[in-house]
Amino acid sequence: MKVIINSKEYQGLPGETLMELAKRNNVDIPNLCHKDGIEGQGRCRLCMVEVREGKKTKIVSSCVYPIRDGLEVVTNSEKIIAIRKNIILLLLLKTPNNDYIKSLAEEYGVKAPDRYVDYKVKENCILCGLCVKACEKMGTSAISLINRGTTKKVSTPYDDPSKDCIGCGACAEVCPTNAITMTDKNRIRTIWNKEFKLVKCSVCGKTFTTDEALQFIESKLGKKEERICDSCRKKIISEKFKESFKYF
Amino acid sequence: MAKGLVVSPDKCTGCRTCELACSYSKSDTFNPKDSAISVMFYEDVGLQVPMTCLQCDEPHCVKVCVVNALTKDEKTGVVNYDKEKCIGCKMCVSACPFGNMTYSIRLKEVIKCDLCKGDPQCVKSCNYGALQYKELDSTLDKRKIIANQFKEAFGEGAI
Repeated sequence: MKVIINSKEYQGLPGETLMELAKRNNVDIPNLCHKDGIEGQGRCRLCMVEVREGKKTKIVSSCVYPIRDGLEVVTNSEKIIAIRKNIILLLLLKTPNNDYIKSLAEEYGVKAPDRYVDYKVKENCILCGLCVKACEKMGTSAISLINRGTTKKVSTPYDDPSKDCIGCGACAEVCPTNAITMTDKNRIRTIWNKEFKLVKCSVCGKTFTTDEALQFIESKLGKKEERICDSCRKKIISEKFKESFKYF
Repeated sequence: MAKGLVVSPDKCTGCRTCELACSYSKSDTFNPKDSAISVMFYEDVGLQVPMTCLQCDEPHCVKVCVVNALTKDEKTGVVNYDKEKCIGCKMCVSACPFGNMTYSIRLKEVIKCDLCKGDPQCVKSCNYGALQYKELDSTLDKRKIIANQFKEAFGEGAI
C-alpha cells in the first residue's frame, strides 16, 4: 500500500492507521492521547491532518484513520496549523498552569488572551483518556471518564477507593500532563483515594510494591512468587555466580 | 545458535566502565542507576560479578507485559523492549526472577539489556575480556565438553 505524506511516498502495512505509518517513518504529527500499544482514541484532536481524495480534501484525526492505497496526506498545511493552534489555545485555557501545555503553546506561538485566562485554575487534566485506556489494558478498569460537559473528569466509581485498582501507577506514567499523583509515604501508597500498604521485601525489609500488584503477577505467571525486591533478587543470583567462580 | 553476552567474573576488575557505557548508550547520561548492567562486589573472595539480563527462554517479563512492549525475538533470542508501547505499570520489574529490570522514574521507561541491537557497548568498553559477545555453545557442544572431561578421567592411561 502506497501512501503519500507531505509529497513523499511511504509503504504502508495493511490495517495500519495514518499515525502508526507516520510514526514508523519518523514523520512528526503532534499528539497527546496516542500511545503505541494502545488503540487510537481520536480524543485530543491534535493529530489532525489533511487528506486529499481527488479534488476534495478533508480533515481527519490521523490516530484513528485507517490508511488506503493511494492516499495523499498533508500534515503541516496552513489550515492544519491553524486548527492545531486553536486546540492548543483551548487546552491552555483549561490548564493555564500546566508546564507541558505551556511549552506546547510556546512551540506553536499560542498566547491566551489575558481576559479569558483564570490563572488560579489548578487543573492539569486535559481529559485525553490515556490513563483510562492504560487501566483497561491492565485488565483492572478501575477508572473511567465520568459525567458530561464541564463536570467531566477521570475518576473511580463514585470517587470511592476502587476495589479493582492494584496501585501499579500506569495511569500516572502515561499521563502526558502529569495530572495524576501517586505518593509513596511511610510505607503507604496513595492513588485515586485508595491507600495501599506497601509490601516489605522478605530479605532487606525495604518496601517495593503493592500486594495487589504481586497478586496480578502471580495470576499472570500462574505460580506463587516470593516477596523479594528486585535488588535482592539480583544479589541472590550474583551470589550463586560468585560461589561457582570462587575457586577459579 | 544465537549470539549472546558471556560474562567471566574471574576476569572482571570491577572498574564499572560497562555501567557507564551502558547508561550513556541507553539514556545519554553517565548514571550507573540508569544502566542495564551492574557489577556486584564480593571483597571477601576478591570477585566482581557483572549482572545483566539473561535473555530467558521463557521470560517472566514478557508474560506479565499487557501491551506487548516486551517481546522475545525468536531468531536472535533477545528480549526486546519498546518504550513507545510501554505504559509504565512496572510489573516486569517485580516479575523478573533475577532483578535485572530497572525502572527509571526520570526517563519514564524500563532500562533493560537488548544487547544494543547486536552491538553491545558494555563489551566494547570492557578492556579485560570479562564481557564477551560471541556465539553461545549449543546443548550438543556442552554435552561434548562434559563427555570430553569424562573421557579424560576414564580413558586409557587415566586409571
